[in-house]
Amino acid sequence: MSDPIEPQAPGEPEVPAGPYVYDYAASPQRQIAAPKTVPLPGLRAYLAEVAAQQAADEAKWKKMQADYETAKAKAEAEGKEPPKPPVKPVPRKDDTDMKTPWPQEARDPDLLRLQSLLGDRVEEAFEQAGELTCQVKKESLLEVLRTCRDDAELKYEMLADHAGTHYPAAKDFAFSLVYHLTSVSRRKRLRIRILVPEGFEPESACSVYPSANWMERETFDMLGVRFKDHPDMTRILCPEDWEGHPLRKEYPVVGWGQRDIDFRDDRAGVLMRIAMQKAGQMGINLKQP
Amino acid sequence: MMNQPTALEHVLITTKVEKVINWARASSVWPMTFGLACCAIEMMAAGASRFDFDRFGAGIFRATPRQSDLMIVAGTVTYKMAPIIKRLYDQMPEPKWVIAMGSCATAGGPFDSYHTIQGVDKIVPVDIYIPGCPPRPESLIYGFLKLQDKIMTSSLADRYKEIFEEVG
Repeated sequence: MSDPIEPQAPGEPEVPAGPYVYDYAASPQRQIAAPKTVPLPGLRAYLAEVAAQQAADEAKWKKMQADYETAKAKAEAEGKEPPKPPVKPVPRKDDTDMKTPWPQEARDPDLLRLQSLLGDRVEEAFEQAGELTCQVKKESLLEVLRTCRDDAELKYEMLADHAGTHYPAAKDFAFSLVYHLTSVSRRKRLRIRILVPEGFEPESACSVYPSANWMERETFDMLGVRFKDHPDMTRILCPEDWEGHPLRKEYPVVGWGQRDIDFRDDRAGVLMRIAMQKAGQMGINLKQP
Repeated sequence: MMNQPTALEHVLITTKVEKVINWARASSVWPMTFGLACCAIEMMAAGASRFDFDRFGAGIFRATPRQSDLMIVAGTVTYKMAPIIKRLYDQMPEPKWVIAMGSCATAGGPFDSYHTIQGVDKIVPVDIYIPGCPPRPESLIYGFLKLQDKIMTSSLADRYKEIFEEVG
């Protein structure tokens, strides 16, 4: 396995000698364009966006008016006909069915109950397209999950899914981790979200929801977020000797030298040896006597 | 009187040993029960009653590499799966053949990505490539007929020469 190839400096491309070989280092898929925005959905971010849009519209309207005044004064001085006054642009109405649902204030009794139970541990709660989202402090995740499971009015018995997203452009966090809870008895779903910075180890939800075991291993495998007190924090999808975490935004699509693996070696034997070693460390004898 | 067949020629056929052996091999190619992705569904359909792979002597899908002659690589080959495929191929006895079924197994398909081998021919030698995403069972049957043609035209001496060159 080779080291990560450094991006080539811009300049004159080298003329390839010999037959044409596809250069993976220069391939367009390998060039990483880091996202510059943080498209994290949330009520506060949405309201700030709306306010910024309104301010921009107002500034544009004022500029149009000022332009009209100067043009009118100029035309009067020259004795020409004055220009037409500007018309304030009306925001276009979108009455189609394909409206983008925007975040709305929390009105659902579950979100209100969570807010009253947890107080300032809830950072943000909103509804979007009928889905409930509750963003909580990253240190109190386990407590929140336990409340959701045990409270008589919430009763979220099942952890349906757990996933994460990498936000390299964000300032005070790097990953958003979501826990999709389902209440089978009440037929409701709830999303718990935490924002964690690089290197922070959130508590494992295995003690509350045992189904979190493999999902958190997947999050570790794909994003590199380690979980505290997890029974087996190892890779689950990638091979055991994989380098890097593929769902991070800085990971190249084509991979870091993974194409150079030589399969003439008995690589299955290598992987089996790794598995045997790990089992031996856990006190399990996989070898037949 | 010269063209009159003798009594012996009424009951005997003269041919080459190679041809008989090739005919026997081509008529009973046993594939391995082995699928990786959606192509495997089409492979199963080819084996089932509507298309009936057994008409060509390839209906007995063996559950072990040690009894099979043909490996149909039906699906995407990931880096995690590749060593296992290589090991299965090594466990098959000679003579053995490989069909790369579908665009993933032939050239990586749409997954020009960090986790996918760009064609199974990077790890095992392939005899027949079948394009399609996934190929219809008819395509698989056509590819298999092509493989039978290849077996019929193959020479035992060439095959052993290849193996000895591989071993060195």
